[in-house]
Amino acid sequence: MKYDIVIGLEIHVALLTESKFLCSCATAFGAPPNTQCCPVCLGLPGALPLVNEQAVEYAVRAGLALNCEINHFSRFDRKNYFYPDLPKAYQITQDVFPICTNGYLEYYIDDVLRRTTITRLHLEEEAGKLVHSSGSIVDSEYSLVDYNRAGIPLIEIVTAPDITSPRQARLFLEQLRLLMLYMGVSDTKMEEGSLRCDANISLKPAGSTVLGTKVEIKNLNSFRALERALEYEAARQSRVLEQGGEIKQESRTWDERSGRTLSMRSKGDAPDYRIFPEPDLPPLRLEPDWVFRIRETLPERPLERLHRLEESYGLSRYESTFLVNYADFCQVFLELAEEGEDNTDLANLLMGDYARLAREQGHLEPQRLAGLLQILQEGLITHNQGKAVLEELFKSPLSAREIVKEKGWEVLKDPAQLKGVVQQVLTANSELVERYRGGEEKLWGFFVGQVMRTVQGKADPQMVNELLKGELTQKS
Amino acid sequence: MIDRQDVMRMARLARLELSEEEIELYQRDLNSFLVSGRKLQQVDVSKVEGTSHAVAVIGELRPDVVGESLPQEAVLGAGPQVFNGFFKVPRIVEGQE
Repeated sequence: MKYDIVIGLEIHVALLTESKFLCSCATAFGAPPNTQCCPVCLGLPGALPLVNEQAVEYAVRAGLALNCEINHFSRFDRKNYFYPDLPKAYQITQDVFPICTNGYLEYYIDDVLRRTTITRLHLEEEAGKLVHSSGSIVDSEYSLVDYNRAGIPLIEIVTAPDITSPRQARLFLEQLRLLMLYMGVSDTKMEEGSLRCDANISLKPAGSTVLGTKVEIKNLNSFRALERALEYEAARQSRVLEQGGEIKQESRTWDERSGRTLSMRSKGDAPDYRIFPEPDLPPLRLEPDWVFRIRETLPERPLERLHRLEESYGLSRYESTFLVNYADFCQVFLELAEEGEDNTDLANLLMGDYARLAREQGHLEPQRLAGLLQILQEGLITHNQGKAVLEELFKSPLSAREIVKEKGWEVLKDPAQLKGVVQQVLTANSELVERYRGGEEKLWGFFVGQVMRTVQGKADPQMVNELLKGELTQKS
Repeated sequence: MIDRQDVMRMARLARLELSEEEIELYQRDLNSFLVSGRKLQQVDVSKVEGTSHAVAVIGELRPDVVGESLPQEAVLGAGPQVFNGFFKVPRIVEGQE
């Protein structure tokens, strides 16, 4: 039987605040373990939490970016469970009244714009970090706990189950990551855990409207892991169903080493979180003016930028996508590009050798790069020489024009001078000229090569071609 | 009615170890709450707005400024087992195919 894949994602994004969500401990990554903790985030008796205003603003900014409704009334709830990474034995989250609801994210799949519904976005606190003795939770004898991370503000973003392939799930998550980065609400480093994703996946007979039993996959800490785990899980579920089995509703963990999902059999009871309104925090009320101000100052979204690059700067989807994905390159581009013109040359320069050099050594002052573009357009040097000048720009304090002058790389622009060189080459190879005129046309390349060698590559290839053509046809 | 099983389940969720006498005691107490609750259910609240908090306070927000944390020794002092600055905890889940 053929099955449709149904995927929904839950994404946790750590917000880029200086201090934690409900206390003033620092959030900086990489501090020695358990040195950024206080009675509030450790859940010591008598401690009282206070909500970080910046975290609320970031959540609203993210919600607006995702086209959500911003709820002027939202409430915190207490979710009770025992787990070693949760020092209070409850998590402060938003259950019944989340801060944002009912939005969507748009993204491209092979040039087709797709939309995924965002069911909700809510604020909650991060748990501590567990380090497992064997590297995986599944077979570790013991685990180590660092509560520095406990209490960092998170937003949890939940999608509707309207993603239909593992690849689509990855493309969605890539776009969401970029959006959060553009909004400045998170550094979105998957390797440091500041962007994490759990996936729910089920199968249903192709075309059916009845959803199958879903399985939750955890521990997906890269885009690749997300796609691979979903592919594995879809195949596993399909196999179970084919053999007449039933899918068990459960949580599974992605095991990177074996490339499989493994069932996580909990030692305790089935979860019963006994969620109730958080007594230590009053409800959150947002002033409409405050929300309006955030809406007015919302940064440009990646998709808006993509379309702007295509429409106002004459770039292809490929070039625009590169610049949207690498905001630092885009900044250089926007500083140098001419709105309303075709900026393909600039984009290609940035994506080519410049990208490699800039990644190794950091970006050039945009104006130095502009100098190179200028002399390329003037025809002062050839495209090939441009590469050499670019390499020099990263090493030397001189401008592109000064480098060319110092190295004596100016193209021979005087047709008379170049014509002399062409004639000289043809005279020295008169026998080959005869053969060329006799029909051996492939010798053309040889003549061009000889001319270029004589002028050390400093000639405009087009001018060389024209002069050669003139000389070789003239006397026949 | 709250039966014996309910009490034992609640105790398990809250990690409480109850004696036979305590199970009976709490079953009695909890059931008396339900009796009071039933009385409250007779009040007409159709015109009263729901509340989640005892007092209607608007949330006071805190500026995003870093303050002082506890020294590591003080943090770890609360743990039965520590290792290299971390709390050490026993095996969490058992995995299977």
